[in-house]
Amino acid sequence: MAKPKDSPPRHEAAASAPETRPGALRLSGGVFTLSVLTLESPDAQQLATRLQEERQRNPAAAALLKNAPVVLDLSAIPAEAPLALEEILAVLRGAQLLPVGLRNAAPEQQQLAGEYHLPILRGQERPAGPAAPASVVQQRGTLLIEHPIRSGQRVYARGGDLICLGVVNAGAEILADGHIHVYAPLRGRALAGVAGDETARIFCSALEAELVSIAGLYRMPERNLEQWGQASQIFTTNEQLHIAPLGGRHT
Amino acid sequence: MARIVVVTSGKGGVGKTTTSAAFASGLALRGHRTVVIDFDVGLRNLDLVLGCERRVVYDVVNVIHGEARLQQALIRDKHCENLYVLPTSQTRDKDALTQEGVAAIMEELKQDFDYIVCDSPAGIERGALMALYHADEAIVVTNPEVSSVRDSDRILGIIAARSRRAEAGQEPVKEHLLLTRYAPKRVQGGEMLSIDDVQELLRIPLLGVIPESESVLQASNQGIPAIHMKGTDVAAAYEDVVARFLGEDRPLRFTQPEKTGFFKRLFGG
Repeated sequence: MAKPKDSPPRHEAAASAPETRPGALRLSGGVFTLSVLTLESPDAQQLATRLQEERQRNPAAAALLKNAPVVLDLSAIPAEAPLALEEILAVLRGAQLLPVGLRNAAPEQQQLAGEYHLPILRGQERPAGPAAPASVVQQRGTLLIEHPIRSGQRVYARGGDLICLGVVNAGAEILADGHIHVYAPLRGRALAGVAGDETARIFCSALEAELVSIAGLYRMPERNLEQWGQASQIFTTNEQLHIAPLGGRHT
Repeated sequence: MARIVVVTSGKGGVGKTTTSAAFASGLALRGHRTVVIDFDVGLRNLDLVLGCERRVVYDVVNVIHGEARLQQALIRDKHCENLYVLPTSQTRDKDALTQEGVAAIMEELKQDFDYIVCDSPAGIERGALMALYHADEAIVVTNPEVSSVRDSDRILGIIAARSRRAEAGQEPVKEHLLLTRYAPKRVQGGEMLSIDDVQELLRIPLLGVIPESESVLQASNQGIPAIHMKGTDVAAAYEDVVARFLGEDRPLRFTQPEKTGFFKRLFGG
């Protein structure tokens, strides 16, 4: 009943190895393979019985899954069914499985997951789910934003580049899997190559950013920076982040 | 069809209620039937600024809960006949405002009035969201200092994402910047952001500049909207704001430091 399956890419935040610069934090993407366990009933006791049966039927497979991280798929559980998540998690841990997240969870179940600090992994779309507010997300290709991006707003160009024609103000955050172009002052946080693309770059017509990051390498520009307020590009070579003039020093 | 105008800022103490009272009075003085609604449930102030605090019987929360009819809660302003006030409750909290209740009140007021002015509470929580949700236009009140500008930026983002117009995919809410408590001398001395600095950050059209003045405090203590303080620069500045809002072209005033006369310099002022 537990079948190994390719998982969606997950973004992992982790403190870096000790030999990097002190205080540096590396944020990078990673792809992991996780087993998915499709829950057939919201009842924890029934799950315990089924796991026991499975173990007796195929002890070799059960040994292989010892201490394996599993994702719980809730697609077979109706949204309104009372889900004894705490007991279910206990049963899984008792069977030496490590639940790491949920998928295909209804909004109510997602809320419950939040209480147990369980992430919701991709595949959570169910009919009648509430739309994500105040953030712009698109599937692929280039995302073009013509209006100013203001404090508290977050824009993510998933799978492509982001072009901003208006100002990106302090307190705003823009992200792209590809390049970021800002044809106005960049004052907020800009993160390019968030899925791990180290060849991504950030271009802006005036660099006043709170933070710039490419594929997890980041820097917080200060006012005394030579490029402050200037047209700049930000890129990486050999795990080093560079901030350079855009189109020569005297443009 | 009535226009709904929200007076908002994110930050507190920047002059939202003063502006709501003066702006609504200004519209009424020009013959437009206007109602001003206090959305600051629990911190009722608009009635004080308009000098009608002793006439509050029912409030907006009573109307939402069906305990009073809208007509019973509306108070006619004593300074101008075209202005009505819908006060808020001092004893309840922001959760007393329901989406449906506010929508029903807006629908009813739209039948009777030309302008509905919504005085927003500070913050970005329920009360502020309720106040801005129905807006057709927004006056963003900002002081010339960085924290106020950042909060205004935040509220502009919320207006662009969470208003009824944004949700329905209609033409966006029309945004206006109103700079208040502007002290030209302190701008010159570099202590305050200039008009250009603020516009460079917020990038929305400037509706007006209200100079820092003691007459604002006097006006609110007396319960008289600042626009009625004849002969003061604040009243003149608010008149300009209303005129510009209605489409007139008026040059900016009170944005340069006053020239000190010879005698004033000699004997002190």
